[in-house]
Amino acid sequence: MVLELKKPRPLWEIIFSTHHTDIGLLYIIASMVALFAGGGLAMAIRAELFLPGLQVFSGQADFSRFFTVHGTTLLFLWLIPFAAGVGNYLVPIMVRYKDMAWPKLNAVAFWMIPPCMILIWAGFSDTTWNAYPPYSILKAPGPAADMWIVGLKILGLSSVLGAINFTVTMLKMKHPDLPLMKMSLFCWATLVTSMMIIVAIPTFAASLVMLYTDRLGVTGFFNAEMGGDPIAYQHLFWFTFHPEVYIFTLPAIGMMYEIIPTFSRKPLFSYYSGVIALVVIAVIGFGSWAHHMFAVGMSFTEKTVFMVGTLAAVPSSAMHVFNFLATMWGGRIKFAAPMLFAVGGILLFFSAGAGGVVNTAMPLDFLTHDSYWVVGHMHLFIMGTISFGFFGFIYYLFPMITGRMYNTKLANIHFVLLFVGAVLVFGVQHILGLYGMPRRVVDYLPIPELIIMNQIATFGGWMMGAGMAIFLYNMIKSTMFGKLADTKDPFGLGTGVEYYYDYARREPHH
Amino acid sequence: MGHGTPEWVFIGVVTAILIWVGAESWQVEHSLEYAPPNSETVRVIGQQWFWSFQHADGTQEINELHVKQGVPYRFEIVSNDVIHSFNIPDFAILMDAVPGRVNTMWNIFDETGEYLIECREYCGMLHMDMRARLFVEPNTENSTSSTSSTESEPTISQGTGTATIVSPGGSEVGSTGTGTMRVVEPGNLTQTPSGGTANGSGDTSSNGTSGDNATSGATAGGPSLSIPAGASTPGNPSYSPATLTVSKGDVITVSNDDTAPHTVTNGASPSDADAGKLFDTSIIMPAATATIDTASLEAGEHPFHCTVHPFMTGSLTVQ
Repeated sequence: MVLELKKPRPLWEIIFSTHHTDIGLLYIIASMVALFAGGGLAMAIRAELFLPGLQVFSGQADFSRFFTVHGTTLLFLWLIPFAAGVGNYLVPIMVRYKDMAWPKLNAVAFWMIPPCMILIWAGFSDTTWNAYPPYSILKAPGPAADMWIVGLKILGLSSVLGAINFTVTMLKMKHPDLPLMKMSLFCWATLVTSMMIIVAIPTFAASLVMLYTDRLGVTGFFNAEMGGDPIAYQHLFWFTFHPEVYIFTLPAIGMMYEIIPTFSRKPLFSYYSGVIALVVIAVIGFGSWAHHMFAVGMSFTEKTVFMVGTLAAVPSSAMHVFNFLATMWGGRIKFAAPMLFAVGGILLFFSAGAGGVVNTAMPLDFLTHDSYWVVGHMHLFIMGTISFGFFGFIYYLFPMITGRMYNTKLANIHFVLLFVGAVLVFGVQHILGLYGMPRRVVDYLPIPELIIMNQIATFGGWMMGAGMAIFLYNMIKSTMFGKLADTKDPFGLGTGVEYYYDYARREPHH
Repeated sequence: MGHGTPEWVFIGVVTAILIWVGAESWQVEHSLEYAPPNSETVRVIGQQWFWSFQHADGTQEINELHVKQGVPYRFEIVSNDVIHSFNIPDFAILMDAVPGRVNTMWNIFDETGEYLIECREYCGMLHMDMRARLFVEPNTENSTSSTSSTESEPTISQGTGTATIVSPGGSEVGSTGTGTMRVVEPGNLTQTPSGGTANGSGDTSSNGTSGDNATSGATAGGPSLSIPAGASTPGNPSYSPATLTVSKGDVITVSNDDTAPHTVTNGASPSDADAGKLFDTSIIMPAATATIDTASLEAGEHPFHCTVHPFMTGSLTVQ
């Protein structure tokens, strides 16, 4: 058992540590700070949209800053660092090595994140998280947009360093007795994610530099007046950020692969199909980026190619869902909080995936593009699927990290509030989109249908906010005063299996 | 087999559904790809933060588009500044307006009525108010009587003036579900107030400005200039008074009683050599006020205009 918090140490020892569990913990704590900060912005956004007209914000300008920072924070400061944190914590244990391959590089990669957090929050840019030129190069006020660009640049570097470290740890440092095809599926998910990061991120990193020099006025890559093309940025952007969707999702899938067999008290249905689905999506995920851009004026051939590429990515996600369901089938399932979140996540994953097929069908895309449908769709993935997997895994690891048990009753309330809230907000946002409500607007037309649906969405949003407040309270209280966990079998599964990872069997001499 | 069979069946079913979705989409999209050769071309110009439309016969409209039922229209969509997205939700028309590109989209409007045109791509400070109105009018030219076509003549040539004819009174009384949306601007022509006592543009405009009545300028002792409601529609009074005479050193209070942002900028048009160099209020948000200090101006006549709506002009005489 790794009972980090049971051994009190001075703070500086944790902060300057290069040990993988310490850094993993720092990653997790930093990402959760970002989660609550970014979620707070979402509460303000939903409050504003409760009624048409202006209530909370003075106008679109402030509102734009809020949703830009909300998106940037939750995508890049919550999802990515959290996955990296759990990976740091578990990957060396799972491949039975004493630490990450390069511990100091690991610490450097983490400590790049807090400055980015400061840059993004101090700047409070209004470019939207896409930062499409020419708005972002000609009209967006500085220095906010410049701070955003520099912050994301450093974050990209941090991700790439972390990804290289993961890849090398798994491929070169794993125990000689552990073949690749016996490595846990969580490791596989992290490995595939890391390789995707290494391939995908440099493109966006390059376009950030171009965006910055365009802002300075010395180049005109994306400025039509100087002979550039704004659409070129969108291609570069989505070449990174469509694969990034899978970079966000796959760690959560890997976590579900840990949780579901454990709480179903049954072995995984098919290890091979899990590995194949992970690897296949990593390749196909790079062939569908321009489905975000059907409406920029693409030719029919381009649209067809990217529609086919997108549809081709669906079966591998369906394979995961099948694998999860087949594992649960006939199992003695214990619905503790981790399992609740995993199952809820699968349900919402399936819905979000079905919505994604609608988005990619060319004629339907022109109904949903840039409307609230898209907002609902991406949040169903990011909150409903990925974050659900993450929350489940937080509960799953909680006894291992702290040696204490979380309050199970509060954890169940957290799940119910989050699940019902997610269905209300994101489901209704899909319908709002079909009614033609554009995304990124501070105000909407006072039509009764729009008002009532926005109010349902806001109500759901506040339910989720309440759930997250309970979660925060539960985490802090239980870490300090929770009852001591039975570290052999904290969830009372009673199957006699060693649930946590074998910390002691690692290679001692490397 | 055994173990793997259900998974293969599942994957097979999923793949079959996907192939069906893909094939259907391909077919539908393919049939929409080319505009009919007899379609009328309308140039759609997106600009922060309004839409303008140029018809083939040279008619220009701002924030209103009049089309005829049953006639194929081909839209050439361009942008003057940043990316906008030309969207008519009720007809599933969506195409980005990208600087440096001409994107096309075509449609046949099959039902008459008034519809919403909006911007779907985030374009800055007033993105949420970048709306326009689409009027689909019965196509009278197809009828056999030649007199009816001459009757319809003024309706078309008057351009924006038809607003009151098509939708008398508050235009919010809609007929079909999502179809009709209340549109914010511009105010009804017949209700346009002439002076500074403007009260928004009537109750039809519950838009982002929190609906507060604009306080008309003349509270302070100095001269005042107001932008009446409906000024963003060409043909309506743009500044009140249109010619203002002040004595040097006065501070003019400008109040914007319209629902769109405006400026008071010197020069007869944005292309004037010294436009904006003598005085410029920059953007005045709806219900907001600004001031112009005339102390540094030379005596004489100074024409001014609105940079957002260049057709709005006025004149300032300094004594």
